Amino acid sequence: MKQKEQRKDDILFVGVDLGTSRSSISASNGTKKWNESYVGWPKDFIAAKVVGKSILFGSEALQNRLSLDLYRPLERGVIKEGIERNEEAVKELIGYLIQLAGPKEDQKIYAIVGVPADAMKVNQIAIKKAVSGFVDSVMVVSAPFAAAYGLNLLGNSLIIDIGAGTVDFCMMHGTIPDNDDQKAILTAGDYIDEQLFSYLIEKYPNSRFNRNMVRQFKETHSFVGDSSETIKVEIPVEGKPLNHDITNEMRRACESILPAIIETTSEMIAKFDPEFQIKIKNNIILSGGGSKIRGIDNYIKDALKEFGDCDVRCVEDPLFVVSDGAMLLAKDIPEKYWAEM
Amino acid sequence: MEILKYLRKDSRFRQKIHKKIFLDNLRIMGKQPYQTLKKKPITYKGISPILLTLIIILLGYTVYHNYITLQGEKTLVSSVIESNNSEVHSQIQAPHVQRDSLKFLSPMVNPEISIAKVFGLKVKRIMIDPGHGGSDPGTSGIIGTKEKNVALDIAKRLKSRLERYNYEVIMTRQEDEAVSLQKRVELANSSMADLFISIHLNYLPTRPANIIETYYFGLSFDEEVLKLAEKENTDSPYGHSEFKKILEKVNSTMKYEESYRLADSIQRSLFTNIKRIDSEVMDFGIKRAPFVVLLGVEMPSVLVEVSCLSNKVEELRLNTWNYREKIAHYIEIGILNYLRNKGALTHEAKRTEEG
Ligand SMILES: Nc1ncnc2c1ncn2[C@@H]1O[C@H](COP(=O)(O)OP(=O)(O)O)[C@@H](O)[C@H]1O
Ligand SMILES: [Zn+2]
Repeated sequence: MKQKEQRKDDILFVGVDLGTSRSSISASNGTKKWNESYVGWPKDFIAAKVVGKSILFGSEALQNRLSLDLYRPLERGVIKEGIERNEEAVKELIGYLIQLAGPKEDQKIYAIVGVPADAMKVNQIAIKKAVSGFVDSVMVVSAPFAAAYGLNLLGNSLIIDIGAGTVDFCMMHGTIPDNDDQKAILTAGDYIDEQLFSYLIEKYPNSRFNRNMVRQFKETHSFVGDSSETIKVEIPVEGKPLNHDITNEMRRACESILPAIIETTSEMIAKFDPEFQIKIKNNIILSGGGSKIRGIDNYIKDALKEFGDCDVRCVEDPLFVVSDGAMLLAKDIPEKYWAEM
Repeated sequence: MEILKYLRKDSRFRQKIHKKIFLDNLRIMGKQPYQTLKKKPITYKGISPILLTLIIILLGYTVYHNYITLQGEKTLVSSVIESNNSEVHSQIQAPHVQRDSLKFLSPMVNPEISIAKVFGLKVKRIMIDPGHGGSDPGTSGIIGTKEKNVALDIAKRLKSRLERYNYEVIMTRQEDEAVSLQKRVELANSSMADLFISIHLNYLPTRPANIIETYYFGLSFDEEVLKLAEKENTDSPYGHSEFKKILEKVNSTMKYEESYRLADSIQRSLFTNIKRIDSEVMDFGIKRAPFVVLLGVEMPSVLVEVSCLSNKVEELRLNTWNYREKIAHYIEIGILNYLRNKGALTHEAKRTEEG
């Protein structure tokens, strides 16, 4: 018993989720932080004076982007290839996240990083390397699996993680998921942004939109299905802010990702025997930023009705499901394994 | 009581999970479990499959050649060809054929040891298979570019590039003619080629993306090899027919592992280099898929989807010889890297490398 207590004090366990758009960390000391996955270095000497820092992260980096070489170094949870500085940017980002977790001076850090279920070995190694400089021991684990572990849904469930670049599906059935249990489709959050952007410039050719604005509209007003509300946003037209009704465009854009999600869901469920199908159907879990779209759970539930009743829920804290689960896993994994990593 | 039982079961399940995660992570780094698992009495499950496979090979080495030449896998293979034939193209086009993860592969793919390397197998003859042809155009792009033509052109370019190093390169077709999948398999096997590379172009009907992916054929036989070996060792010496089965497994292990390595090498070279031209291109990685051509041929074999005709910009690029030459070049680099790791470069290739 004594040893256990000691272990808990000496070691900070952290779970990390590296997202295309957002990254988060959960630590065993209770800290939870997230950050937009941007890293920026001042372009030159003058820029460095202006921003007053040698490196900036997240929204601060975005705000100062004109003075910075700005990187969004992750793509689908792995380091984007081909650009030299991405690796460095990921390292800095991880270092920053870990520092946010507030480890004590002489505390050891054991980290688990969620990676896409289908990440290639080279990518997994790259992530491990990037993390290893900041921690004493690190393991990677499939992100949806970490989420399921944290939610205590290792039994029978289907986890649908709607992220920026991909929607990831992970079927849990009492074993560690393998290839057949996991799928990804590429029409996700970014795709909604693109659709919305094109609908809006078509409807309001004289107004000035940009992609960032459009994403913000989405993140404040997203919905699918019926809604009695009209969505109005202010957009400058020839310098003057004007109200625009974007209700229909918002619905169409958000709904554009649903057919593929529904098709994949029913495909994945259909592979199992009927008895098991019923269990899965009562445990469909939506997570990721896209699960915040208003009405998405009911919409999917309705669409799946023809296969019998089912239950679709959204996780409470989509930003931290993966990092929370990874942190719990880190805490549960025996010390002997950590020591050998 | 029920709850207690459940909890006990649950905690055992969790322990299994922890161990699996640990082992997966060791494997990623190419390490073997060291202290933690060593203390336990050695069971067959505890021995790494690669080690076991090697033991089996060494035991059976003398009989090995006889079987490969006498029996091969032909009977097994040809029966599957018929049934799979019609599915092939739809699989090629399906954007979400199952993805590979090393979790599945890793027992067989140890970065340090390649079975072919152990035997020093030589590579002299390479077969290139340009997809489709004749009445079967494959996919086509919006301005009418046909997969069969692009694949053939890239294949020819790749052929002349590889011939510079004194590899003998054969093609399943030289012209715009229809060649059945069975015929391709027969050609490859009868020519006794050492590698087989099939070239195709992708088409994603619902997305604008450009993607690169490489397939290889693989079966999840590792479990079986283990079980069989376990059984065998309780009442050795080996029975004749059992032993034959093991040898067949080993043979496909080698094909499987080498195909995986080849696929990985080509995919990596093609993707990282194309990425410099098209920063948006997506890496769909390497995947297992039961394509007939990959299943049927007896040598390490891969199917490369080198580009994506549904992407308009990409279609335009594919219409320039310059870009097609580049694709051929990057596939060549992938092949040569694979051969280098295997220690099987020709003198010419080595000299070019050094010079
Ligand atoms: N309220 C919201 N409605 C719709 N989409 C949202 C909302 N909040 C966030 N998103 C979208 O979710 C995606 C990010 O989800 P996240 O799970 O963080 O993904 P990733 O791990 O890929 O970064 C982005 O496309 C973002 O715009
Ligand atoms: Zn094809």
